[in-house]
Amino acid sequence: MGYVAAKGGFDAIQAAETLVRRRRIEGRSSWLELDQIVDRLRYSVDRVMGEGGLWDEQLSARAFRQAEGDVIEAAHLIRAHRSTLPRFGYARVVDADEIDVLRRIVPAFREPPGPQLLGRTLDYTGRLLDQTPEDEGRRQAAEAAANRRERVVSTQVSADEPTVDQRVPGRLIDVLRNLDALVDRRRDDDPEPVDISRVAARPGAPRSARLSTMARAETGALVQLWYRNILGPDRNLHEVTLGEVRHGRLPIEVQNPLTGETVPIGSVRVTEVEAIEDLDGVEEDRTRFDVGYGICLGHNERKAIAMANLDVAVDRAAGDGPLEQSVLMTTDGLDASGFLEHLKLPHYVTFRSMMERKTAMREAAGTKRQERLAQGRSDCEVTDVSGDAGAPVEREDVLR
Amino acid sequence: MTLADVLATTGPAPASEVAVELTPILDESAKREIRRAVLTAIAVPGYQVPFGSREMPVARGWGSGGLQISLAVVGDDDVVKVYDQGEDGGVNAANLRRLIRRSEGVKTTTDAREASVIQTRHRVPEDELIADQILVLQVPVPEPLRGIERDMNELRRMHAEADYARMWVSLYEDIVRNGVITRTTGYPCLVDGRYVIATTPIPRWDVPPLHQAKFLSLFGAGREKRIYAIPPYTDVEPLTFDDVPFEVEEVSEPCRCGLICPGDEQGAYLVELPAQDGTSQWVCSDTDWCTRHRVANGVLGSEALDDADELW
Repeated sequence: MGYVAAKGGFDAIQAAETLVRRRRIEGRSSWLELDQIVDRLRYSVDRVMGEGGLWDEQLSARAFRQAEGDVIEAAHLIRAHRSTLPRFGYARVVDADEIDVLRRIVPAFREPPGPQLLGRTLDYTGRLLDQTPEDEGRRQAAEAAANRRERVVSTQVSADEPTVDQRVPGRLIDVLRNLDALVDRRRDDDPEPVDISRVAARPGAPRSARLSTMARAETGALVQLWYRNILGPDRNLHEVTLGEVRHGRLPIEVQNPLTGETVPIGSVRVTEVEAIEDLDGVEEDRTRFDVGYGICLGHNERKAIAMANLDVAVDRAAGDGPLEQSVLMTTDGLDASGFLEHLKLPHYVTFRSMMERKTAMREAAGTKRQERLAQGRSDCEVTDVSGDAGAPVEREDVLR
Repeated sequence: MTLADVLATTGPAPASEVAVELTPILDESAKREIRRAVLTAIAVPGYQVPFGSREMPVARGWGSGGLQISLAVVGDDDVVKVYDQGEDGGVNAANLRRLIRRSEGVKTTTDAREASVIQTRHRVPEDELIADQILVLQVPVPEPLRGIERDMNELRRMHAEADYARMWVSLYEDIVRNGVITRTTGYPCLVDGRYVIATTPIPRWDVPPLHQAKFLSLFGAGREKRIYAIPPYTDVEPLTFDDVPFEVEEVSEPCRCGLICPGDEQGAYLVELPAQDGTSQWVCSDTDWCTRHRVANGVLGSEALDDADELW
């Protein structure tokens, strides 16, 4: 049994969905293909994968399209999709040194071991708005596509292609270790990492929880937290020197459940950063440096850099101050934006309770509220539901 | 069938069809995890049990915790009621009801007396619930002490040692400064003489029914990844002083529905409907309860009651 008015909300959300669908599906332009999104909106797709915590370019493109370009909404779609899937197993733990770099820079040294490989970056592209006419742009794209096909046909490897040694460089951190310039925080045991999608991480959680929280965090949240601590009132960290900034592919391998053999099933692109921290605390080893670490899915350097700097800052704080809690509890995009937007939900039950307390406070303060209320009705009686509620309350006095 | 298909579906779906076209939104191992957390919560009344909260098709802060509990505890025979602000027809309630129904294939109702699982935001039904009924409350902020302490390590210590001294001091200061305790909804309560809980933002009106209730109350905070519970027949005492009685929201106007007014032993939580001219009417927030009483009273015709299955 129910009542007819219960249908109102359902009708309203259906109508809203129709409006959403109308622009999403009908549109006024041609259908947006997933390949186009993966191919041309690369940073958005990478952010959706990183914040969604799932490596799948096609699915992320699909989510990004459905979300009409809203990255957090798309990440939400990806994460909610993950929730429907059972977890069958775990990949082999991959050593980050197995990375096949597409880009690698070491700001800390002019000529580090291994290459300074600028790779594909927007850093020096010159931020001038490209106003190439659309026809010309299309012509260039078609021409480039034709050239690419020729390249594929040709089996010759260009002399400019980096060698394997260049692609898998050593780490600056090892150089610094050999120079005895680093405090050694490495541990001998090999604890299981915290799986933040299965365990509620809270302050005091192992470093792995902190790192995976930041790896899935909203990029803007990490950047803001970093900058707030650099320039704002919190002052929990200072600028690091970057030892490694990498973008590359890491292999993914699983164990064949039947044969027990390790089988490659693909690769993921990651951004990895090592940040060198100048230890300047009274209790710290001022003769050495420390290193923070950041890694995330996709190409997202500002996220990985903020993550590395925050990682070492939390470690240095050693549980003192609010930074660890801020990192663990406040950087998730879905948490923050979901809670913010929940304010749009009806709150009239709670607001009514708040109004009542305002009245009670005035009453307690000796206003004439009691007198006003006494003029109202005080006993039960049946009134017409058509709208006449009897004597109107004198609200002016209630609210003043 | 994908979620997009489900969300794109228009028109009512008869229960028989729903049963064959389920679109699960939570995998079975996750449900088991949540049931374990629920059992722990029942075993330690009022204690906030951390759990691996999953992302739901609704945003965090929009009932994702309550939704996970409902999905985890319902079985084939359950009848589910979902309401928000006391209203079954609210947009968020309609959306959550639809998701639960599509995911689990359960029957739904608007009548609290017929429901075995009631998911709610901000209200406890006016109907007296009985044993075997489960009330699932959506919790935006599970931590009752956050207003007086932000540090999570310190909060854990305070709960562990039942050190609620600062909470008492804050209530005392409230009275000294304002003449009354100004806590509105989500009034802090001591459960089973041990843990202080946040009663979610239910009005104070809804707090007394939780004390020694026959039903089980489960509180789900999806964003903050906490579940807590009030088992049946458990003491729930709103924090107040011996000489300062706990106050529920009072209204001295009669309800528009006519039958109900405050002070009546059949009283209900009323909300205000202000009009442009500065006047206002009062109505019960529990819409199904109100409608039933209006029909029983002859104010509304019996056509106001309908079979919920035909609605969505």
